Amino acid sequence: MIKKRIPFILVIALLLVPLSAFIHLSTGEIYVSLNDFFSAIFEFKGNNSTNVLIREFKIPRILIAIVAGGGLALSGMLMQTLFNNPLAGPYVLGINSGASLLVALSLMSGFSFFGSDIGIISAALIGAFLAGILMMAVAQRIRSQISLLLVGLMFGSFTSALVSILESLSGEGALKAYTLWTMGSLLQVEFDQLPLILFIFICGIFLSFILIKPLNMLVIGERSAGLLGLKISQVRFLIMGITALLAGLITAFCGPIAFVGLAVPNLTRILLRTQNHSYLILGNLLFGSIFLLVCDSFIQLFSRQIALPINAFTSIIGAPFVVFILMRKLR
Amino acid sequence: MIRFEEIEIGYSKPLLFIPSLTLDAGKVYALVGLNGIGKSTFLNSITGQTSLLSGKLFLNQQELQKISKVNLPKLIAYVDSSFAGVEYLTVFDYLALGRSPHTNNMGKLNTEDKQVIQEVVRELNLVHLIEKDTSEISDGERQLCAVARAIIQSTPIILLDEPTAFLDYLNRQKLIELLVLIAEKQQKTIILSSHDIDICINNALEFLIVSEKKIFKTKVSDKQVVIREMEKDVLKSS
Repeated sequence: MIKKRIPFILVIALLLVPLSAFIHLSTGEIYVSLNDFFSAIFEFKGNNSTNVLIREFKIPRILIAIVAGGGLALSGMLMQTLFNNPLAGPYVLGINSGASLLVALSLMSGFSFFGSDIGIISAALIGAFLAGILMMAVAQRIRSQISLLLVGLMFGSFTSALVSILESLSGEGALKAYTLWTMGSLLQVEFDQLPLILFIFICGIFLSFILIKPLNMLVIGERSAGLLGLKISQVRFLIMGITALLAGLITAFCGPIAFVGLAVPNLTRILLRTQNHSYLILGNLLFGSIFLLVCDSFIQLFSRQIALPINAFTSIIGAPFVVFILMRKLR
Repeated sequence: MIRFEEIEIGYSKPLLFIPSLTLDAGKVYALVGLNGIGKSTFLNSITGQTSLLSGKLFLNQQELQKISKVNLPKLIAYVDSSFAGVEYLTVFDYLALGRSPHTNNMGKLNTEDKQVIQEVVRELNLVHLIEKDTSEISDGERQLCAVARAIIQSTPIILLDEPTAFLDYLNRQKLIELLVLIAEKQQKTIILSSHDIDICINNALEFLIVSEKKIFKTKVSDKQVVIREMEKDVLKSS
């Protein structure tokens, strides 16, 4: 019975992804029908304004919502399993902060290379990875789940203080570029950047699937997993690498997006009621995508009245949910 | 079979000395000693988690230092004093982890793996628990599952760190009986650390007494003898 329930939920989720993409399509300022959508893909004409609109704005925005939602949820799941802590995630443990700090440094350094796409992406990836290594070192010394989160929080405050200092020292142009980046948006991605983003995203998913056995072993704790033959330092490095890759990539393009990486993995576990990571990986990818598509649909819906940053919106939904998990798990 | 040759274990300075000692297959040994005397360190040295300061340790004729990290879990299974359970981890998935030293890189169970799990589940009467959540069963049931996982690992050596600590009298007795039966039937070497001397004597286990920085093997039927040996540490330090 259990074996049929999980695939059933996953198939439903799989069907909900195109449905929420369709909702996303129809909530934009300009109405786009399915017909327009397909003709823009298959019979693209450069002089047709609807075609151009769909290709330059709609498709990148939908795809990046899927990548960001699925990717953040996946990296959150990886961190929660690695740290054996349901409250871990790329945002609370400072992966985003690390990325933000290095992006700020590179944007405000004044070198034009660091202001370019590749510059920002590499800065975000390096920042994410450094923060990940730092958190791993801290986790070695701290056993308590709550203490680790407090350290992550302190790290976040510390980096944002550093960023404030940098802001006060930098020129108007760099300041504007950085502020826009931190708002977090699914709008900033262009059609030409999609292949690179999708490539990194698929690499992350592929690597996660290779790690299914170690992830399943980590569920019973590092020590027990080690006694079953898990090469713990190797696995730790790989998981941190994938997390930094996914979270860094998404942070680079969309700015910091809070709570998806924390809330969706917990939601997935509650819905699927399993610790089998072959299901959890799929579940997180699907639920993460749906979650962000729906969030962004709301933003589009209200875009005439207010320009809501995606970061604010995911926090409004995510924060109460995390409080709910806290009350349930830690009492 | 485990063989110790003039071994010193400890961290920066030696904590325990094991002169020359052979533990045979088919037997259950009770490791006793006062708190903090080095029982866990001793068990950790057999799993390779605490490295030896000097001497040699053999597991089934193979020298411990020469056994690769991948092959060690095929020789030794280890059971912690308590397994708290993990939410949403089913008993079956937990037991299946015992097969991980034998499965491929993706961790998929083959027919042989499934057969081993089924046999142990039947033997230990865990059939009714198999689909349950490990965080929702009783302490006794969880401890039994931990032992089942170690048996499923199919190793010639099983180490248990205070496996009876959280069990009531009846479950303790049942667990020890089960271990004796398995050791005999499958010719395994089993070591369990315990503070429950009575139950070890009642089941005629051989003792490994840790006292005065040494470990020695002895057969006793009188509780006072064991206690007198253990008390030597207290007398010395006072």
